[in-house]
Formats: sequence, C-alpha cells, structure tokens
Amino acid sequence: MPITRRRFLEAGALAAAATALPRPLLAQIGRDPEPLPPIEDPRLKALAARALDAARAAGASYADVRLTHTRERLFFALFTHDGESLEVGVRALVDGYWGFASGPVWSPDELARLGREAVHQAKVNALGKPRVVDLPPVPVVANGHWDMPVAIDPFEISPLEVQDFLGSLGSYSARLPGVHQVNGATASATAQEKAFASTEGSYCTQRSWQMSGDFSVVLELEKPQKRAAFGLDCLTPAGMGWELFAAERIPRVRDHSLYEEIRRGVEETKADMLLPVKPVDVGRYDTVLDALSMASLVDGTLGRATELDRALGYEANAGGTSYLNDPLGMVGTYRAGAPSLTLTAERAEPGAAATVRWDDEGVAPDAFTLVKDGVLTDFQTTRESAGWMKDSYAKRGLPFRSHGCAGASTAIETPLQQAPNLTLAAGREAHDFESLVSGITTGMAIKGAGVDMDFQHSSGLGAGQVFEVKNGKRVAVIASAGFLFRSTELWKALHTVGGEASLRRYGMRTAKGEPAEYCYHSVTAAPAVVKELTLIDPLRKA
Amino acid sequence: MNRRAGGPARLADNADSERILSKDECDAIVRRVIGFAKGGGETKVQIQSWWNGELRWARNRVSLASDRRDLRMQVWRTVGVGRGNVSTNQLDDVSLEAAVRAAERAAMLAPQIMRPTPSGMPPIPHAERPKTAIWSDATYGATPETRGEVARGLIAPAETKGMLSAGYLEMRAGSLAYVSSERLADPYAPWDTPYVQWTQAQCSMTVRDQQGTGSGWAGLSSYDWGKIDAPALAARALQQCEASRNPVALEPGRYTVILEPQAVADLVEMLVGPREPTEDGYGPWALAYDEVLKLWRTKLGLKVVDERITISHDPADPQLGILPTPWMQPVTWIDKGVLTNMWYDREYALSMLHENAALRGMTGYRMSGGTTSVEEMIATTQRGLLVTRFSDIHGLDPRSGLATGLTRDGLWLIEHGKITKAVKNFRFTESPLFVLNAIEQLGPPVPVFRPVKNPYEQQEPLTPAIVPPLKARDFSFTSTIDAI
Repeated sequence: MPITRRRFLEAGALAAAATALPRPLLAQIGRDPEPLPPIEDPRLKALAARALDAARAAGASYADVRLTHTRERLFFALFTHDGESLEVGVRALVDGYWGFASGPVWSPDELARLGREAVHQAKVNALGKPRVVDLPPVPVVANGHWDMPVAIDPFEISPLEVQDFLGSLGSYSARLPGVHQVNGATASATAQEKAFASTEGSYCTQRSWQMSGDFSVVLELEKPQKRAAFGLDCLTPAGMGWELFAAERIPRVRDHSLYEEIRRGVEETKADMLLPVKPVDVGRYDTVLDALSMASLVDGTLGRATELDRALGYEANAGGTSYLNDPLGMVGTYRAGAPSLTLTAERAEPGAAATVRWDDEGVAPDAFTLVKDGVLTDFQTTRESAGWMKDSYAKRGLPFRSHGCAGASTAIETPLQQAPNLTLAAGREAHDFESLVSGITTGMAIKGAGVDMDFQHSSGLGAGQVFEVKNGKRVAVIASAGFLFRSTELWKALHTVGGEASLRRYGMRTAKGEPAEYCYHSVTAAPAVVKELTLIDPLRKA
Repeated sequence: MNRRAGGPARLADNADSERILSKDECDAIVRRVIGFAKGGGETKVQIQSWWNGELRWARNRVSLASDRRDLRMQVWRTVGVGRGNVSTNQLDDVSLEAAVRAAERAAMLAPQIMRPTPSGMPPIPHAERPKTAIWSDATYGATPETRGEVARGLIAPAETKGMLSAGYLEMRAGSLAYVSSERLADPYAPWDTPYVQWTQAQCSMTVRDQQGTGSGWAGLSSYDWGKIDAPALAARALQQCEASRNPVALEPGRYTVILEPQAVADLVEMLVGPREPTEDGYGPWALAYDEVLKLWRTKLGLKVVDERITISHDPADPQLGILPTPWMQPVTWIDKGVLTNMWYDREYALSMLHENAALRGMTGYRMSGGTTSVEEMIATTQRGLLVTRFSDIHGLDPRSGLATGLTRDGLWLIEHGKITKAVKNFRFTESPLFVLNAIEQLGPPVPVFRPVKNPYEQQEPLTPAIVPPLKARDFSFTSTIDAI
C-alpha cells in the first residue's frame, strides 16, 4: 500500500520522540522515517532505484530520478529567512513521449508511485502519432560524488557574523563623503544536495552552493545639486560560498575588498555626477560598452538564440523562438558576427552560477564553442536536443553527445535545456574600458546597460548610463538615453574586445518553459567597442 | 465526482494521492506548530499546498506531460521584539518542531529594534469573510487522459494544414491557511485566512508556419476549465497564423489602433496592479510627492480616463475568480473615468485618514465596454492597425505610465474599412493612460488570458480580467522589429 502523506505524519510523530535532532528533516529510506542523511549515504541509491524499477515495470524505455535537498538563507537588515525542503522528480520515456511526476516526500513507496505516475503521463500521450527521441550515449557514472569547491559554507557560519558584516558595509559607506543614504545590504545563500539515477545505470550525487547579494547607496552632491545611485555589481549570483563577500579579491569578479570596491565606486559615481548633462542627439555612434553591458548583450542575443530547443520552436508559446531560425542549415556556415566574435560555453568554471559536475541528465558537460571567429558552430543541447543535431554532427565529424545543458532549480521541476556559463572571448590586446574610451575621437560610452529583447532575440532596446566621448575622454552624461540594435548588426559591428585582464563574470537568471522555470548561469565578457550603435531617447513617442 | 464538505475533491481512480491539503489537515498542522512554540509571543503559520497537471506540446507533438505537487509551511515566531521566519516542505513533527525552534533562534538573534506595541494600535477590525468563486471540480477533475485528448484535438487542425503548433494546458489546485496563535477562531483579522482552496486552468497555443513567416496565438485562463473553449482557441490561432504570413514593414508613427481584448488587458495591466502610496509616486495615480511644489499630490477624485471607462472588482464575481486576499471587498477603482479609490494600508489609514481600515487591490477587474464589435470597428476605420496582443511590456516612467513593449502574433493594416495586409511587428512607446483617453469605440467585455503561477507566492499581482476590445487614436509605434 502506498504511503500517504497522512500516514507519513503519524510515523513522523513517533520518530520525533526517538531522535535527537541531528538534522532537522526526516526522510524514509528504509522502513521508518529517520533523520535525513548526507547525500553520499549509499542507501539513497536503493531509494532512487525504487522509482526506476517502478517506471521500468510500468513500461518505460528510459527513466531517471532526481532527489534534491534544498536549503536557502536570506539575510536582510532586520531579520533572516531560512527555508529547507526535500523534493523528488521522476521522468519516464515511453515510445518517444515524456512523462514527469514530482512531489515533496522521500519514501520508497512514494518513489515507486512517482515512477508509475511518470509512465502513466507518458503513455497517455504515446497514444498519438509517433514521436522519435534519439538519446545520444552517455558514459555511465557509477557512484560518482562531487562537492562544489567553496571556501566558506554560508550555512556553517553564524547568521550574526553575516549580519555584522553586512551592517559594517553600511556604516563604512555612510562615512564616505557624498553618501546621502545607505539602502542596506542583503545576502542570499542556497545549498543543494542532489542525487541522480537513470535506468542506464548512472548514479551520482552532488553538493553545490549559490551566493548572491545586493548593496547600494544614494549619493547627493550640493554643487551641482544632484542625486545618483551606486550599486555593487560584483554580488550577482555565483557558485560560491560566503567568500563572495568576505574574500579580499576574486578573479574575474573583483580586484579589491568589498569596502574598497564601494569606496572606488562612490568616487567614480561622484566624478560622473560632475560631468555636464546633455540631451540625446539621436544618431549612430562608435560606442564603448563596459563588461556588464557586453555580458547583458551576449546573454540577451546569442545566449538565448543558440538554445536549440528555442530555435526549433519548442519555446514558441512561451519565451519565443530564435533569430537563428534554421539551426541545422546555419550551423557551420552562418556568419553570426565579426571575426572578433568568439563565444564559448561550459559548466565547469569554478565560481560560476551554472557550474556542475553532472547535469540533470547525468551528463558531464563539456566545453564547447557556439561561435568561432564570427561563424556559428554549435547550439546548446540536452540529450534529446542533441539527437536533433545527430546528422549535422556526423556530417561535420563531430561526436554525437549532449553538451550537458539540462537543468532545473529543484527536483519538483522538469529538467529543461537551460543556459550554460557563457564567455565572450577576450581580445588579443590588453585593453580595458578606459583604454578603449581613449581610442574614440567622437562617440559614446555606456556603463551597466541592461537590454530588453524581442521574442526572437533579434531586435533589442538597451538602457544604461550613457556618456558622450570626445577625443578619448568622457565629457558629458546623456540624460535619458537608450540604444536600439539588431542582434545580427550588433555582432557584425563588434570591433575591439578588451583583453583577458578586463574580463568580468556576472550571474544571470533566465526563464524557460511553461510554467516558467528559473535557472542561473554566468556570463563572462570584456568591455568592447561597437561601431555605429544607434542612440535614441526611449521616452520619446512617435 | 463529488466535492467533499470541508475538503478537496478526491479522485476515485487516483485514490492514493492527496493532491492538496484539506481544511482538517491544515487545522491539525496549525495546532501542532503552535503547540511547539516556547517562550510566549505570537506564532503565525502559513500552510500552502498545490498540485499541477500539465501538458506541453511543440512541433505538433506532446513534448511533456506532468503531475507535480508540493507544500510549504512557513512559521513566524515573535519573541520579545525580534521575529524569525522559517519555511519547510516537510510536515512531520520533527521537521515542524525544528522549523519553530529555528524561527525562535532567529527571533532571539534578530536586531532588538523596538516596534510599535500593539497597545498603541486600535483593536483589529472584524473581518467579513469574502465570498469568492475560485473552485471548479471540472478543473480539479481533469485527468492526464483528458489533457492528452484535448491536446491531440488542438494540434490536428494545424498539422493538417502543414503548420507547427506549440502550446500548453494546465490545470492546478491548491490550498492555503494563514493563521495567528492570537486568533485561532472567529473573529479573525482581515489578513487571516483560516482555509481556502482554489483551482486555476489555462490553455494557450502558438501556431507558426514552417518557414516562420507567420504566427498566430490564442489563449484563455480561468479558475474553471469548463469556461475554456479550447477548440475555438485552436481555430483562432490557426486562422491568425495563416492571415499573418509574409508581413510587410510599415513606417513607425502614430496609428489608429483596434486592440483586441487581450491587447487591452496586456496594456492596462500597467495601471491596475497594486499601487500603494509611496514616496516615489509608484504608478500614475498613486499619491506622489511633487518635488517642485513640495506637496503630496494625487489624482484621486479627478477624471483620469475616458468617461466610458469604469474599472471595478468584486470578490464574488463568478466570471473573474478572484483569490481571497487581506481586506478584500467590492471596489470601484475608476467610476466613469474618475479615479475614485486607491490602495492603502492600515498604517496609512490610521495616520492619514483616521480610519481603522485598509483597502487592497486589485486582484482581478472588470473594465466597462460598449457595443461595437471588432468587425464594426474595422469597417469604420479609414486607416489603422489591428493588434492581437502585446508582449514584453515594461514601464519607462512611473508617473506618466509611459511603457514600451512589442506587438506579437498578428498585426494587420486596415484601409478603407478592410484588413488589407499583414504588418511586421512594432515596438511601441505609449502610456495606457493616453490610450484610455483617446478611445473612439468600445466593444463588449470578455474574459482574457491571465495565467497565474502559484497565486499566493507570486510577487506580482494576479489580475484575472474581463475587458473590452477598443479603438483608439494616435497610438505611438516607435520602431519596427524583426521578430515574428
């Protein structure tokens, strides 16, 4: 008889008396509920097998199961929030149709029920016309385990220490000249343990972390009377622990302590506030974009457009399709941008937000190149979507494999193709933002731009802090300016890309599917010069 | 299938699954959580459960069908002046007690900042429990078999014509209880929710041609699956796909527009979300501090839109299906063009209005219309554009309501009373307030697609809407976009 939640409640009450609370949650791995063991506990493999056995017995040609234990801790000025949850999801394939079932209870009977339910969901649709799923082979992972390398587990330090540190950022900033108001610092930490098992024999477990935060101040000048905000952009989501805040420096994220980053940022913002303000003079300008602006552009254009499922219409009713609308015809030949454009993807970079050892299909992701010297060379894939590229890979003599882009925030959600970590290759010369600006005679410079893309990621509207550049210097702030671009033209107009030392990494969130599922990844980019970018006033009506 | 008193319906063929928590189960959990509290002070408990039955399809084949459930128990403990907040999705006593202990530890560690004591506040006003229509057995009872059969029926017409259909069907249900240890029985405070259960259904699809030169869309959401005519949606999406192929580019500029009801709701969403009085003047008609005049200003009592427009909501409206929220009551927000009500909280009411009350909204609305059909609007238009819907709208200037966004899934040129061409999509830069002041004709209001995620977890407002199609002058399109 399957365990029901009500029976589980009764069992839980008995176990409460018997356990001394070494860990707060209970799971049923054997016959009785017990304190949740660490994910490496070998008995979890047998638990996972219950779902696979049930799915196989019910007729699945392939099935996999994920068990996740997710913790989150949010730090605000006056309070903290703690959350902890268990999730399990089972996916089954029957005659080319997928079914999925998930829930919050870890027990042998519940896993068996989910295995049967996933098959039931698939079979109902397998009644329809045939559908082909050609999964590429995956090396079997036998009892693999991986811990994300983090320096300081944010759940192992006192919340008081964290709040103390966040408070000190505020009191430090409040003493800086020009700072009018401190909006306060927040921090957010998640930790997830995950077990994956498939009917192909893989079993692996992972433990990973994500850390992010916010910090901003309002500056006020008396002469000229002006207000401006400054916020740190080095606290975006990262596959790191508390060191995201505490470390003296982090390669590709920041070169100084947070205090020094704030001091420099405040000084820079104050210097920008002293520049004269000019209205928008609509036109096309050679433009220097900072690393954050370039990362936003990469993510909003090629980052989304090279998702193979999106390009083939699997997101047509949700986030949209792709301007790379004939992926199989375009790959290997289509000129996506200037020769200076090379875009790579991977899920292995230490500290990045999409970094894993195995993806949500048990695939060890590889590093791959999406655009090489301006030519489109590949797409982001899962096992199923790699199958759609099989002939293309064979024709080009490339291995038939998934790039390991399957992901979901917890096992409650279905694994979908989610963005890997992306890197826009640095230029050969050692340019940074300031040296690129110094090379512009007449043009613009843009800091901190965000972009707003259409549903094929082909046309965009960008907005950030825009400066007029004359003879290699930023000479004025352009009030209320934005820029319009087409993805194809933007990347063909890519001119000089900053050097290796100017690369910066930002954690970003993307949505996929219906209902929308959210996942994080990192985008690394250097400042760059784009020729003839169109400057507009976004507030002006037609 | 019968709906059991006090609890959600059970499906006979799925007897081992308890898809959402019943009132009795929630009551029992609340009692246990409150019983674990030590050291006095208030304990607040929120329990949510939800179930989703889903089906996605793309390229004319079902790509995934799923059944998903989850829970969330959240406890707030107040100890002294500190508060702690912990959540879990495990309901056994060990997990519940651990959550309460963790909340108490956090409360004791929280910065000891004095908050206004309850004795300084007037007594909590008694709350009338609002009557709502948000449960549908048709939604809860829809099986995976039903979804599969429906989807095959929606895909077939598109596939027969050589088009590519992608879409989504969702039926979901959930329950919520939000209770304080200080008010375990009536009279509840207006923000208590002893127990509520709800359903939501949605169906939408996009039909594109093989070359990607045309795209049609149709969708509808309701708490009641029985109110959604899915085959009619499929026919409409297919027809719009065929009619939108090979669009021509027009110059950006000001056009007379006929907005289908979906486009009206997409645009008006910018105005109707919760608008609290804030220092930033959040929203075009919220209380705003005027930096120049050094005054708090509001458009309350002023005519803000065309006098044919009334926007109101009623929690008991069986067409809308509004979820219960604190302080909810029937409200007319805009009465014949005049802004008559704005959201305010109890603190604001006590200090500024000397009232022991609050006004919350809007979580769903009706917008008045007229009698002109979209066909008549087309027939009476010399030159204009017909807009199916908008996409990716976001605000540019909160005070004027100026927003930007895109047309999507069907834009047509009207010349001399007839649709003459499919037109490439535009980006617009326009304020919904301007549009509602430039109305020429209004049609009969109808329900539109307002899908919701987990309604009680979503940060943005959820606003089921019944809105009319309308024709308006001088709508500002600022650039063409390539996306189809």
